[in-house]
Amino acid sequence: MFSKEIQNQVNNLLSRYPFKQNALIPILLLAQKENNGWLTEEWMQHVADCCEVPLTHVEGVVTFYTMFRLKPPGKYHLQVCTCVPCCLVGGTELLEYTEKKLNTHAGYTTGDGLFSIEEMECIGACSYAPAMIVNEDYHEQVTIEKMGKLIDKLSK
Amino acid sequence: MAEETLVLFKNIRNPKYSKSLEGYKKAGGYHTLKKVFGMKPEEVVQTVKDSGVRGRGGAGFPTGLKWSFMPKGTGKPSYLIANADESEPGTCKDRELMLKDPHLFLEGMMIGCYAVGCHHGYIYIRGEFFPAIKSLNTAVEELYADGLLGPDPLGSGFHLDLTIHSGAGAYICGEESALLDSLEGKRGQPRVKPPFPAVSGFNGCPTSVNNVETLACMPFILGDDGVDAFKSFGPQNNSGTHLVSLSGHVKKPGVYELRMDVNMKDIIYGIGGGIRNGKKLKGVIPGGSSSSVMTADEVDVLYNFDELAKIDTMLGSSAMMVFDEDTDVVQLLHRITRFYAHESCGQCTPCREGTHWSRNIIRDFLNGNGSDEKLRRLDRVGGNMLGTTLCALGDAAALPIQSFVKKFPDDFRKYYANK
Amino acid sequence: MPVFHIDDEPVEFHPGEKILSAALRNGKKIPHYCYHPGMSIVATCRICVVDIVDLGNGRPAPKLQTACSVDAAEGMKIETMNQKVEEGRKLVNEFLLINHPLDCPICDQSGECTLQDYSFEYGSGKSEMDYSKRVYGWRDIGTFVSLERNRCIQCSRCDRFTREITGTNEFGMFNRGHELTVDTYTDRPMTNKFQGNMADICPVGAITEKEFRFKRRVWKLKKNRSICTGCSTGCNVTIEHDRNEVFRLKPHENQNVNKWWMCDEGRLTYQIMNERKTRINRPLGRVGQNLQDISWEEAYRAIAERISEMEPTGNEVIALTDTHASNEELFLIKKLLKDGFLSDNVFCPLPKWEQRESEFFINTLITTDKTPNRAGALALKIKGDPGNVEVKNTIDGELKVVIVLGNPFETEHEIQQKIKPAQLVVHIGAYHNCWSEIADVVLPGQYYSEKKVTFTNKMQHVQATDIVVQALRRSRPEWQIIVELAQSLGHKYSFSNINQVFAEMAGETKAFSGISFDQIGDQGMKLTQTFKDTGMKLVKAPA
Repeated sequence: MFSKEIQNQVNNLLSRYPFKQNALIPILLLAQKENNGWLTEEWMQHVADCCEVPLTHVEGVVTFYTMFRLKPPGKYHLQVCTCVPCCLVGGTELLEYTEKKLNTHAGYTTGDGLFSIEEMECIGACSYAPAMIVNEDYHEQVTIEKMGKLIDKLSK
Repeated sequence: MAEETLVLFKNIRNPKYSKSLEGYKKAGGYHTLKKVFGMKPEEVVQTVKDSGVRGRGGAGFPTGLKWSFMPKGTGKPSYLIANADESEPGTCKDRELMLKDPHLFLEGMMIGCYAVGCHHGYIYIRGEFFPAIKSLNTAVEELYADGLLGPDPLGSGFHLDLTIHSGAGAYICGEESALLDSLEGKRGQPRVKPPFPAVSGFNGCPTSVNNVETLACMPFILGDDGVDAFKSFGPQNNSGTHLVSLSGHVKKPGVYELRMDVNMKDIIYGIGGGIRNGKKLKGVIPGGSSSSVMTADEVDVLYNFDELAKIDTMLGSSAMMVFDEDTDVVQLLHRITRFYAHESCGQCTPCREGTHWSRNIIRDFLNGNGSDEKLRRLDRVGGNMLGTTLCALGDAAALPIQSFVKKFPDDFRKYYANK
Repeated sequence: MPVFHIDDEPVEFHPGEKILSAALRNGKKIPHYCYHPGMSIVATCRICVVDIVDLGNGRPAPKLQTACSVDAAEGMKIETMNQKVEEGRKLVNEFLLINHPLDCPICDQSGECTLQDYSFEYGSGKSEMDYSKRVYGWRDIGTFVSLERNRCIQCSRCDRFTREITGTNEFGMFNRGHELTVDTYTDRPMTNKFQGNMADICPVGAITEKEFRFKRRVWKLKKNRSICTGCSTGCNVTIEHDRNEVFRLKPHENQNVNKWWMCDEGRLTYQIMNERKTRINRPLGRVGQNLQDISWEEAYRAIAERISEMEPTGNEVIALTDTHASNEELFLIKKLLKDGFLSDNVFCPLPKWEQRESEFFINTLITTDKTPNRAGALALKIKGDPGNVEVKNTIDGELKVVIVLGNPFETEHEIQQKIKPAQLVVHIGAYHNCWSEIADVVLPGQYYSEKKVTFTNKMQHVQATDIVVQALRRSRPEWQIIVELAQSLGHKYSFSNINQVFAEMAGETKAFSGISFDQIGDQGMKLTQTFKDTGMKLVKAPA
């Protein structure tokens, strides 16, 4: 199920741990990337086979960690931090603005599949708050204006 | 006027510095590692013990002591795991190091591996840190290409591999035993202790889990005259510099490297430039969201482990969150409690039920349903999580609740006084 | 053994043993939910907190500790009833109850629910939780059990059971924090053959046995120790019954046999105990084509008269028995043939059977030998072979007297056809079957839940059953029937209880020598002289 390039990465990961199970989480992340940002039962079964663990174990792991998604995210996954330091300097307002602008709620994807919003717990950019992650890129000291411009840019 | 003391940030603060292996070597990097390879591992551990360095992850446990617990001759491999799961709200120092000077941390990590006899170290980094993961991956590739990692680093014959392991979003994986479960490919639920990781850690083998910043101190400590210099940066038992993540309502938030004998006031008003918009200080959460809150009257204190412990709070991960007089502390506490309710792993009773329940009570205040009775109940529910859980998350959730209720009772009362 | 103190009373412990384990072994009471001696320690329910006032070094522990996870140490002093401990339990109890539905009146666990017990003993009796509770739907999760997640206290015993005990991994922990659930993922049903154990180990009513749902309140049930006769493993059980009806079988701990477990098939054997339709109610005698009610005296007299008329020689008499018969019954039938007819023509089926090998102990409980006393028959040297060759050869000659015990050779039509023309066929058994159809005299025996007898399991442990339910009025235990039959034939058999039969058997059979019925007790006894069962084949358990 993995593409050739990713399969190489998977094989490399499996070789770097004493037990195949140890590589479960990194491989699940690769599988999620391969499947456009979310996991299906098929993929979980495939990863379970790779790591030689029962499927229920994989499902237990997937439902434990917030980065694993069981429904497809938007093309741009906006992860807005509203945890303590961000909340102190406007993170919550930023999230509200984003929700309003995209006319959807955190946890959901816009109708056109372009954006999804996720309310994040601390993303570790506290001194540069408010901060957010778009797919894999950090955006720091985000103001409402910056956010508006960013969404406009990505919408095009 | 307080100033930065540059040890860990020596390179980062140099505008001309390049974080590549070449750049790091040019700045004197991997020189200490060569020296360490000439020492006996026990000597390395002793030196670290002598330096008095305490873990920068939050608990402040002496690192040398931790390493000395690692048993020898068990027939099992020993492991050193770097805890790069920086997720305590307010803390963003390790990310800084990994992004901007990855080789400093990696050299420290390699020194640590040598000290505890680990031939394959793992760096457990939180999954959301995509840029830091890239930065570390590049650095590790450079090391393999250079031969600094692999079968014979610097001609030492000490076979050493490093693997970067990405987490997938769980605050609790910063707790060392949960981190180990997660690294093994399981749900990150804290383990029963004892046995401690030094006895039975990664896959049941002797393991030491150390914070990124702690490891990044090693090249300095083991450098020439490192121990004495390191100790000179702070009072007894609080040696070295530490990276302070300053956030909240200060004019100049940021990560600063400070000695351990700097007054908190100087940090807020000096380094941080004071409260923004000309407001007055209301309080500070001094060591990550798990620490007890301090009022504006309490901030005239040295910012280190022991001094903060004396006033019933803690240095934690040196993450200082400053808030001004306009701050609604009930909202703030609600946000903190929501965090713990979201991040509780749920396996043990008081934390699973208590974090959610206390969050509900605080929401009652916000919705105008507060009362004296509920304030008392909030304090009680918080207290019932304190010291009753398997890991420290119960305490972490309880301490802010109890301290907010104790120190800002009027702010809670305001929500229901006029009813 | 080293010693520590619980509430000033000395408790012995094995080095390395946890406080709770040692305490429970020594009959001390410390509440617990997640701890189970057969599974790993997670220390998550937090109810087993104790106050360690002296760690053994003169210093106290800084806070309450969970007894399940702390090693006992020489000189340790523990308090389990002081105010600190009571408060510690009370707070955990409060947390556990805030999301529990408190639906005890409609919950099958009610009466044997530790959450209920501890809430009663340690709880505060009131709740300060005024928000809506966590609610999940009821789930049908398997053939044998159902899941009511609202009642779950997340102790994770079921999760550990499918991971550590059966290795089947149907259960898991999903989500986290307040939303943590311990269940199967989506609607995938469970497949393991030991699901009933999950209902047993569930401390609350989250997992309950479907067979038992809504049938009887547990406090009405009377309980008797016995063994399961569903196969040759002989799992120790308690048979739970009310008003002479058996409701369920529960495993009883025996570390030498079944540890804490038993299989679902074994649990279902309770149904046979309540079977009435096919029971033989009273002695029957054949008049023409029909069996008619007769009295015991008439039955014995008729048999004695026919036999004295026929004057059969040893090879004209044969007894057929199955291996559901107890040790005593097998011994007596053999003795009767020897004393009465100088015959040793006692046969039973001894087919080959398979014993599973597995890294999971529980899988070894299931065998293909579905009779409880094959080893007893072997120990008593009852004749038989896998192809029933010898018995077939023996019945080739003319038969005058055939005594059939139970339901042997039920699929061997050849044997049945050859027995049919025999002049006198006596069937002793609890249920009608192909033998009662052709018998001249039918004598009503009793099922093992109605009598006190012993069986020898596959590990060659002798174990005893108990009288659990009252037998049918006109039935008698098979051993007594054989004794009475012998007496009516003029033999001086003076056994008036099972102990005496056992003693005689032990005196005459090397395998049982030195064992007395009373010695067997709760844990069973290994045969004095063991042997190799050549009919057994070890096979790998299917993954």
